[in-house]
Amino acid sequence: MEQRTSSPYPRIDRLVMAIVGVVLVLGTVLFMWSDRAHDWRYYQMEFRQMVAGQFGEDKAAILPSGVQQIWVAELSRADRCVTCHQAVSYPGFESAEQPYRTHPKLPLQQHPVEDYGCTSCHGGQGWAIDTAAAHGEVAHWEEPLLSRSLGESYTLAGNKNALMQMNCNTCHRYDRQTPGATAINLAKSLVNEKGCRACHVINGFGGTIGPDLTDVGEKPPEQYEFGRLSGQRTAFAWHVAHFKDPRALSEGTVMPNFNFSTEQAQSLAMLMLSWRRADVPARYVSGTPRVDPRSAEELAAEAALKTGPGGWFVQTGCFVCHSISALGVKSPAQIGPDLSNAVEDVQSRFGVTIDAFLANPTGTMSVVLSRQIILTPEQKQEAVAKLREAFAEYQRQRAAPATGK
Amino acid sequence: MRWPSLNRTKPEAPGVHAEPFWSFRPQSDREAGDAVVSNFMLHWFPAKISKASMAWNYSFWLGTISGALFFLTILSGLPLLFLYVPSVERAYQSVKDIEYVITFGSWIRAVHRISAHLMVIVVSLHLVRVFLTGAYKNGIGRGQQREVNWLIGVVMFLVTLFLSFTGYLLPWDQLAFWAVTVGTNIASSIPAVGPAVRELMIGGRNIDQATLIRFYVLHVVFLPGLLGVLFAYHMWRVRKDGGLARADAESALETPQATKPVKSKTYTLLGVARGTAPTVTARSIEAQGATVNAVPDLVRRAAIATLGTIAVVSIMSVFIASPLEEPANALITPNPAKAPWYFLWLQEIVTDTTIRIGSFTLNGAFIGGVILPGILVGVLMFWPWLDKSSHLAAGAWMPRERRTQNITFLVIILFVLALTFVGMALRGPYWNFYWPWEAWPAIPGRI
Amino acid sequence: MSEPKPPTDRRDFLLKLGAGAGVAAITVQAGASLRSLVPNVSYDAPTTVKLGLPAEFPDGLKFLPDERVLVFREGKTFHAISAVCTHLGCTVRAEALASPQTADAGGASLRLTHRFLCPCHGSEYKGDGTNVAGPAPKPLAWFRLLIAPDDGQLVIDLADEVDRDFRLTVG
Repeated sequence: MEQRTSSPYPRIDRLVMAIVGVVLVLGTVLFMWSDRAHDWRYYQMEFRQMVAGQFGEDKAAILPSGVQQIWVAELSRADRCVTCHQAVSYPGFESAEQPYRTHPKLPLQQHPVEDYGCTSCHGGQGWAIDTAAAHGEVAHWEEPLLSRSLGESYTLAGNKNALMQMNCNTCHRYDRQTPGATAINLAKSLVNEKGCRACHVINGFGGTIGPDLTDVGEKPPEQYEFGRLSGQRTAFAWHVAHFKDPRALSEGTVMPNFNFSTEQAQSLAMLMLSWRRADVPARYVSGTPRVDPRSAEELAAEAALKTGPGGWFVQTGCFVCHSISALGVKSPAQIGPDLSNAVEDVQSRFGVTIDAFLANPTGTMSVVLSRQIILTPEQKQEAVAKLREAFAEYQRQRAAPATGK
Repeated sequence: MRWPSLNRTKPEAPGVHAEPFWSFRPQSDREAGDAVVSNFMLHWFPAKISKASMAWNYSFWLGTISGALFFLTILSGLPLLFLYVPSVERAYQSVKDIEYVITFGSWIRAVHRISAHLMVIVVSLHLVRVFLTGAYKNGIGRGQQREVNWLIGVVMFLVTLFLSFTGYLLPWDQLAFWAVTVGTNIASSIPAVGPAVRELMIGGRNIDQATLIRFYVLHVVFLPGLLGVLFAYHMWRVRKDGGLARADAESALETPQATKPVKSKTYTLLGVARGTAPTVTARSIEAQGATVNAVPDLVRRAAIATLGTIAVVSIMSVFIASPLEEPANALITPNPAKAPWYFLWLQEIVTDTTIRIGSFTLNGAFIGGVILPGILVGVLMFWPWLDKSSHLAAGAWMPRERRTQNITFLVIILFVLALTFVGMALRGPYWNFYWPWEAWPAIPGRI
Repeated sequence: MSEPKPPTDRRDFLLKLGAGAGVAAITVQAGASLRSLVPNVSYDAPTTVKLGLPAEFPDGLKFLPDERVLVFREGKTFHAISAVCTHLGCTVRAEALASPQTADAGGASLRLTHRFLCPCHGSEYKGDGTNVAGPAPKPLAWFRLLIAPDDGQLVIDLADEVDRDFRLTVG
């Protein structure tokens, strides 16, 4: 057996290898730590203690743990805000410090969190689970949390929370006034009062002297001329300054100075930024019609049907299948026979009186009267009386043309 | 160590290796000979290797580290394959999920990204090292083909860059979208065929789903496969060309000596041949004292290089977050829109090479993006055939004979580095020049 | 090599420590990374779904493809049966019976208007969900129905299976 060549390397290499091994172990520790080092773990622990203190250990034990999210597929929003803000729909913490505060009840009733998520109203980065990133205070995220502190940084003249109303107006843009959205409402009334449409197209109509404002909120911040603006360089600040003194910001503009107050200028700036190409399904948009449009004549005819001599048959629902031509009721479907001569028609078809038939119907009417239109005995009496009236009118009309000619 | 279930009473069948691994410490001649056949490392490495070519300060083990980084990108890419969705609607969202809610997701993505960046650096340094040491040159042996391996290496370098570039597109953020816009428009600046080439690259005239799926398949199937095949061939060629050029240089320095007839034996694939060695006069890299056994000395160093690389990448990945810009938006070009750093020198060149002669204008994209890099790569690929220095200049750092070409090469490298630095540190909005201590105008926000 | 070599052993210890720790660390990192394949957040549809106002449901059967349930109305009472075959999860198809019959389902009487056939492997269920033919191992599930307190919509709780005598009576 040949001796292995003596090598000068092992002595140093063994030491280097040992160091590499130790560094790798250190790396593994760091790697494990990096997954644990998220502040939501602390917030969940803290909230658990708050619930335990207020409602008992058993309530705290059933709190969800780990990353939580509200997934709204229609808006493609996955909002993980509730990972830290666990009290959002947990009553009893209305006056607690954030992130442990219960959400006010009223807005959530109309905008269930499972249909809207959090960020569609509040802004911020729903994907994120660390505070700064989630609140949008990081590079490459352009929708910051529209919080009170952001409002304070702009020294909003009115409600410091008002910036959030910009997001309300994503869906409420066609409302004249939206309950609660005071700043946006103020701006909308100013738009009408000052006649902005004289020069600007808004939502499809208006003058063409100034730029179309329908999607002005989409204009990228880079496209604004910030040369003459001092202070914060944001699209919002630009609009505020521009509303206060248009000529100071864009030279040679013909837009008049309306001498807006700070609150008015700020509200208008919010309205401008809220006018975006909203990527929301139609059912989210407030005021979107969800019925087929009907002409004035159609509406009048419908009203006349209800209040006319045959109104009872319309309100009860008979007219869905039956016309009562003698009383001017025309059925949209006309599946059943005309009820004008029901009194004699029933006799000939079924061999019973109308009273007996309604009391004990057969065929289709037995199904209808037992399922869809359920009449009390008194109502059946009324039905018979009405049918007799119709029959009298029917006979009178049949006689009239003969005598007339 | 034997498999516990092995029936020791039976004779060993020919061709069957009865142990789960190989032996680092052969206890018999037979076992030593068998090791050659059964040892994976000895299929990769030679049985013996010259001490000089193992030195840390000759090759800096850059090739091994490149290989380790390639291995790491593949390994970290596997979970990402399960987590990333190659669709323009969902790619960005899936990367956000990887970053935020998938356990170790951001670390895995960082390992992938950092290995890729380091791979570009280390592969480039490997190329520089091979050039400066003239390691693409053959010794005096017959049949050496180191030029071919250099050519393969340059192609692998280009594939590495293209792998990085295709990886950039996948998150479908602003960086991705505009890097691809610029990159493919460079291709479309080629006269006559350019627009057709671009249309083929992005699967249409607009960058959209067709582009994403093309670059995705290139990134996860085609290019890694190509690089893997080239890597195997590259390694095979290193062995078949007699190892590193340094080994040739070492043997070249020795005066040929007649070896005394000694009792010898040879481990061959066919068994152990015994007898008396013939008297030969040769330069032998097998000279006593000049070589060590590949196992364990070479294996140990390769393990150190690989494990060390993994350690560095693993720790860097904890601390260096991978960026993700705004979602891709065809309506807004970021200002400034910078290419990935390894292409910034090209971005700098295409900025400055639009040529106007009278009314005739040549787009800088063509000059700086196609012609110039094309010439550089072409010359680089075929340099071994242009380099007429003697074999004595192979495998040595900065030999006098190759001084001029080495200095020229270094000047070009420094020029590229300088342009990269300018692009990285000195360019601001509208590609204007800013000193590092000068603040850029604040980037305006929405609110 | 039978002669004892203590110094080598000591030096080998460093090598083994390094290599062993390194390989162990990498194994831990690679193994732990597989945790990334276990989802932390759910993109599944919620299990409690509002189905619309009770009045919008016709008498008899309404199939809701999104929730894969069959909602039955008999006048003022409602019940819901899963349309997911208990064999391997295909969606069963309802087939109206020529003559409805009344049967006892879990202790309460029930009008059976349909039977359910699975297109995948031919399982067959009675109108109350009982498996009668084919490979189906157990009856179709019944789900709890309730009325939403806020807007009066019919709500189904797909996570809450109920007995076959369950009926929701709407006032």
